[in-house]
Amino acid sequence: MSITEPLLEVRSLRIEFPTRRGTLLAVDDVSLSIAPGEVLGVVGESGAGKSLTGAAIIGLLEPPGRIAAGEIKLAGLRIDNLPYDDMRKIRGREIGAIFQDPLTSLNPLYTVGQQIVETITTHLNMSGSKARERAIELLQSTGIPAAERRIDHYPHQFSGGMRQRVVIALALAAQPKLVIADEPTTALDVSIQAQIISLLKQLCRDHGTAVMLVTHDMGVIAETADRVAVMYAGRIAEVGPVADVIHRPQHPYTMGLMGSIPSMVADKERLTQIDGTMPRLTAIPSGCAFHPRCTRAFDRCSRERPDLMPAGASMAACWLHDSNTLRRAA
Amino acid sequence: MAAVPRPIDQAGTAAGSDEVIVKADGIAKYFDVSPPWLNRVLERSGRQILHAVDGVSFTIRRGETLSLVGESGCGKSTVARLLVGLYTPTRGRVEFFGRDLGEMNTAAGRGLRQKLQMIFQDPYASLNPRWRVHDIVAEPLIAHGLMRDREQITARVDEVLQQVKLSPADRVKYPHQFSGGQRQRLSIARALATKPEFLVCDEPTSALDVSVQAQVLNLMKDLQRELGLTYLFISHNLAVVHHISDRVGVMYLGKVVELAPRRTLFEAPRHPYTRMLLDAIPDLEMTGRARTPVAGEVPNPLNPPSGCTFHPRCPHANARCRSEAPALRRVQHAGGDAEVACHAVEEGRI
Repeated sequence: MSITEPLLEVRSLRIEFPTRRGTLLAVDDVSLSIAPGEVLGVVGESGAGKSLTGAAIIGLLEPPGRIAAGEIKLAGLRIDNLPYDDMRKIRGREIGAIFQDPLTSLNPLYTVGQQIVETITTHLNMSGSKARERAIELLQSTGIPAAERRIDHYPHQFSGGMRQRVVIALALAAQPKLVIADEPTTALDVSIQAQIISLLKQLCRDHGTAVMLVTHDMGVIAETADRVAVMYAGRIAEVGPVADVIHRPQHPYTMGLMGSIPSMVADKERLTQIDGTMPRLTAIPSGCAFHPRCTRAFDRCSRERPDLMPAGASMAACWLHDSNTLRRAA
Repeated sequence: MAAVPRPIDQAGTAAGSDEVIVKADGIAKYFDVSPPWLNRVLERSGRQILHAVDGVSFTIRRGETLSLVGESGCGKSTVARLLVGLYTPTRGRVEFFGRDLGEMNTAAGRGLRQKLQMIFQDPYASLNPRWRVHDIVAEPLIAHGLMRDREQITARVDEVLQQVKLSPADRVKYPHQFSGGQRQRLSIARALATKPEFLVCDEPTSALDVSVQAQVLNLMKDLQRELGLTYLFISHNLAVVHHISDRVGVMYLGKVVELAPRRTLFEAPRHPYTRMLLDAIPDLEMTGRARTPVAGEVPNPLNPPSGCTFHPRCPHANARCRSEAPALRRVQHAGGDAEVACHAVEEGRI
């Protein structure tokens, strides 16, 4: 495995929703890459475009949403323009998916065993009985007790946490190189959430699977990810190593976001609050989309849109880190 | 912001007043979740009773925030609903200003209800989409017969809208014209309209994004200081609870297992379940502390384990824990005073 070649490369991705009242731009000029075995966290608030980016990568954008520009490459091969049938072969085989609600990602009419075996026999050259053995192994590896018996149970017979384990087993069934996990723990209680996160981490480490972890929970990112991309209004505001983004945020939005999380360690009388709300897609502000809420905005922010530029150990899309701004400040 | 005239004297309402205004005394709520009669006959099964809340006692002092935390199904929301009288307790009683909440529907208790209000979790479901903001906020005023005069009502609506940092001009809008955080502020405005003294907040921020959650939590703290409000705060998010509470109760399967001042609970948790919960929170500080692996899941409340209901997941359980349910007892320890329901703590095993 070479480190230099990214497993997944997204370049200038743009996702549009044509509506009667004009085209909405949900994801705009998003570029990111994931190295083999790496965990990339994607955080942002509702409507930031993080889930759509994930859906675009596995080719599950719901119409009328469509990729309007940019390209997605998996191990050097473009996958965003593949025909439906070719994409089906990649989905599950090369890219696994874990969604928020385990009940909707499992078919209630089939036993979990049938669903896992189907995935295995579709993608791997394996006989039915072999596949069943492998399914039992998979369920065992996700920590489901009495897997030989549980394999013949239906999804409704599992609890929420167990169901999410089944979904993880299903996502890893064909040994994909990349897993897109979209809010995998949001529907779960904290104690179960901790179990699922450590399971996901351990399994991906064992198999060398790369993960794109989409979540709104910074705590989950801090525990799991190697790098993190912070999204705001359809664009990446900041991307960098997880420790840097959390402890030394460079973009004012990331700073506000980190300050607004209640801490269990420090006693804060008030939380830092970012006034206002995320703009609606119909009214994305000019220039930097964050400028109306930014306490450090200056005239250039409302006119020109910043691209990602080096900021500390990270990259931030903020004019504060532009060499001209820095020179003037000095 | 202008101070609101209070209906009764509220001198010294800063947190820490000794006057107990809410008292829950062994409250329990059972739900009959049996299958229909015919199924019961055909399947020869008996009635099924869900013990959602099973003997919970606590007091809340004026100006204080008591939080209840726990995982789904632990009964925290049921407690909230019992406290505002949306459910009547199967057993035990709720006292409000020393008077039984059951009197609320009698003539003598009429004034009681307007002093307690509730804020719900989902700001999309708790506001009538076909009503304008003015009507939503004015409804409790009219329902309680507090005001008749139109101008007076409008003045009060404007006042509470300003209190929650919305504009009086928002009066004519509909709920769909607001974002999630603004809607939750509308819920708060509606709750404040009758000048309540006690607010029950059932997961008020869990449907909101973190930055919006921060706005709402700051607002709630400001309002508490300005108006001397008392909160019962229900949440599953321990970080939020740490931020907002004075005292915290941890619930597990319908019972309070630990009740302690915030600092004591977070710095020196005693009950194994509290420790487990605190351990399970993803660590934002990335201190790399070792986590105790959390085993198992919350058991089915229809068929709870014998003795201490936590014993199947507890690393310290012994024979006594499996047979005898522990009571909530005052425990003094280095970290401070707490009430804990645990045999192991009581016996000094942990």
